[in-house]
Amino acid sequence: MAAYILRRMLSTVAVMAMVGIFVFLLLRLAPGDPAAIIAGDKATPQMIASIREQLGLNDPLPVQFIGWVRDLVGGDFGTSIFAGRPVLELIAQRLEPTLSLSILTIIVSVTMGVSFGILAAWQAGGLLDRILTAFATLGFSVPVFVVGFLAIYLFAIRTQWLPVQGYQPVDDGFGTWLVHMILPTVTLSIPYIAFIARIARASMLEVLSEDYMRTAAAKGASSYSMLFHHALKNAGVPILTVIGLSFAGLVGGVVLTETVFNIPGIGRLVVDAINKRDYPIIQGVLILVSGLYVLINLAVDLSYTLVDPRIRY
Amino acid sequence: MTISRRSLLQAGVATGTALSFPSVLRSQTTLASTQAVRMVKSGDLGVFDPMISSYYITADHGSAIYDTLFALDSRMTPQPQMVGNWGVSDDKKTYTFVLRDGLGWHDGTPVTAGDCVASIRRWVEVASGGQLIKALATDISKKDDKTFTIALKEPLGLLIEILATLTPPCLFIMREKDANTPSTDPVTANIGSGPFTFNQELARPGASFTYDRNERYVPRREASDGLAGRKVVKVDRVIWDNIADQQTALAALQTGEIDYLESVPMDLLPVLEGNPDIALQVLNQGGFVRYLRINFLQKPFNNLKARHALLYLIDQEAAMRTSSPPEYIKTVTSLFGTKTAYINDENTGWFKKGGDPEKAKELFQEAGYAGEKVVIVQVTNIAWMSNVAQYVAHTLRKIGVNAELNPTDWGAVTARLDNKGSVDEGGWSIYPTADVDFAMGDVLGNPIFLANGDKAWYGWPHNDEYEALYARWATVATLEERQSLAREMQRVWWGFVGSVYLGATTLPVARRASLTGLIGMPVIVPMWNMQKS
Repeated sequence: MAAYILRRMLSTVAVMAMVGIFVFLLLRLAPGDPAAIIAGDKATPQMIASIREQLGLNDPLPVQFIGWVRDLVGGDFGTSIFAGRPVLELIAQRLEPTLSLSILTIIVSVTMGVSFGILAAWQAGGLLDRILTAFATLGFSVPVFVVGFLAIYLFAIRTQWLPVQGYQPVDDGFGTWLVHMILPTVTLSIPYIAFIARIARASMLEVLSEDYMRTAAAKGASSYSMLFHHALKNAGVPILTVIGLSFAGLVGGVVLTETVFNIPGIGRLVVDAINKRDYPIIQGVLILVSGLYVLINLAVDLSYTLVDPRIRY
Repeated sequence: MTISRRSLLQAGVATGTALSFPSVLRSQTTLASTQAVRMVKSGDLGVFDPMISSYYITADHGSAIYDTLFALDSRMTPQPQMVGNWGVSDDKKTYTFVLRDGLGWHDGTPVTAGDCVASIRRWVEVASGGQLIKALATDISKKDDKTFTIALKEPLGLLIEILATLTPPCLFIMREKDANTPSTDPVTANIGSGPFTFNQELARPGASFTYDRNERYVPRREASDGLAGRKVVKVDRVIWDNIADQQTALAALQTGEIDYLESVPMDLLPVLEGNPDIALQVLNQGGFVRYLRINFLQKPFNNLKARHALLYLIDQEAAMRTSSPPEYIKTVTSLFGTKTAYINDENTGWFKKGGDPEKAKELFQEAGYAGEKVVIVQVTNIAWMSNVAQYVAHTLRKIGVNAELNPTDWGAVTARLDNKGSVDEGGWSIYPTADVDFAMGDVLGNPIFLANGDKAWYGWPHNDEYEALYARWATVATLEERQSLAREMQRVWWGFVGSVYLGATTLPVARRASLTGLIGMPVIVPMWNMQKS
């Protein structure tokens, strides 16, 4: 197991390195110039050229790349061209909103998604199954921003029960934090509940049709025991995979939800940086997110051993 | 199952509590609203240095935390602001400025003449009007801690106007050590001497910026008038929230989570108009003039008749309707905008309500147009630019011109505009853009007025007769003479069609009715004087 973990950690570094090289080159070769954006469209070409020189953007690509890698190895992800602040500081500012939204969403999504999937599989073909399947289809099809704006209209503007937008740190009060997270969490959870429910249902149906389930029923096992002690564990591997991928996607930044509800998360940070061609931020975020993605996949792979004792590394 | 009265009462209380819980929590989440004003500006403050950037929002940021030597009053006349007294020598070549008392930096140190000199020296490297001062100046130096001079080779009657310009980059006075930074290196210290201090601790780039009242600021004694006079801050704090989605910002304004929204989605105006808690107010009475820059270097617009064709083709009202409702639209026939001191009707016979597509088609034929591709730069992440580009493309295609849109985002647009090559080499033909109306009267400060070919702004218009007139602008002494010169310049400009105007729009801002005292000026929305009841 330890060797397996070590091998995967090393592959994480390799993935981050490849992502870093790719992103670095892509940014420098794509149209757009941060110097021009700083100066504005009324600036003279000479002014823009001088700013480029100042920013080191006229240095040969290999020189820029080596300088960047050297700093990266030393833990320095660079400084934002526009904000003038360390990239890690800016990412750190955005981590709490992103993690808050991600963790709350995954908790709600997993709880409800798995429950719906189990219920739908248990009542396969029945009315409940049809209702839950329809919900899953709808939840997956309706865009997040449509749900978001509807939720804002109903719960913020019409009833004024909840705030329209914004994020309040946990330090400012748990209640304040929670009330700002309700609408975005519910909005973002819907497609994930739908997705997890569908996978859970399919996986459970496959397991429920196995011989050992018939044997368990013949031995007098209760519905609860059959579903949760026998079926769910065996259906767990694909469900865990989907949960892991969902969480990785959430942590990487959910731009639409962050935009609709004005949550200053990682997604908005990187989109704003792309619009402004703030290379250090784009590079820093993408490298970190790629590393996180690989680590989450590792965690998912390791979690398989909890549900399936046959799996050993 | 029996339901007792006790259990029913308990359930009722629990339900009522649960239903009121969000409201209770929501009221607890509302900031102490009388202490802070929350504003959503027209964009994200990405560049902090107002001395090198031409963004209006950066100038807005500058006006909060920095101060200026002179400031424009409501009649656009420069008035002393940091300057206490000033004078000019008999030969009109040496200006002497003495700073008023009470000026101090946010770090506690006093403002000195050395700060002013360093700031001017940095600014003249960048600003159009400043470069004229740089070309004429023989000396810019301090005499003592409160006195500095600008000595010129020859008189420059508009010196004070240039120093007070509202066309970004504006002359905001910085500390000497900040101003000694090369003009290519943005200053991000954000330490000024203005009526607000920048709260670095609460700064969240891309999310929000916080400005606190500068308790040590000493305002002038004169009454507030435009950007001049007393700057009295009547709130404790102003927060700029960057709400990227317009719908969300509008909803936040409706519920009172924000107090001010600068860019109101025009299609949602009716939603606000009936709301008694919200007021729509036009702060910038001159509005924005939108126009097309034309590429003089490439076919077909290197041909005068083709440029005339474009001038006749545009239906200004239709062009402006692509993003503004009719009540906020004006047509523009003067080179100098709609409300500046230099507007006139010289050589405006080309204007026809609804445009003149037949005449335009004729002119294209006379120009020998042979189907060359006309590429229109379409900035897709700025709604009005994107819409008007589509209108221009559609209008050109209707008369048989091979018009093509080049979608790009703002980040890549300057790289495209820099390309002087043909459209097949990545060049362009038409670029829709805009300026605040004030800047249409700032001839020396606004690079769009240049027609010196390669050295001009994008499009590189070239006309020697016009340039000779332009060169006289700095030497002309009185307003009447400048107005006469403006007539001549306009006559020539429309003769060679240096640009094509699309119209003007005076867009309102939306504010909570409880937020009052907003000062209406172009470019900058002063945060002093406003208050919240």
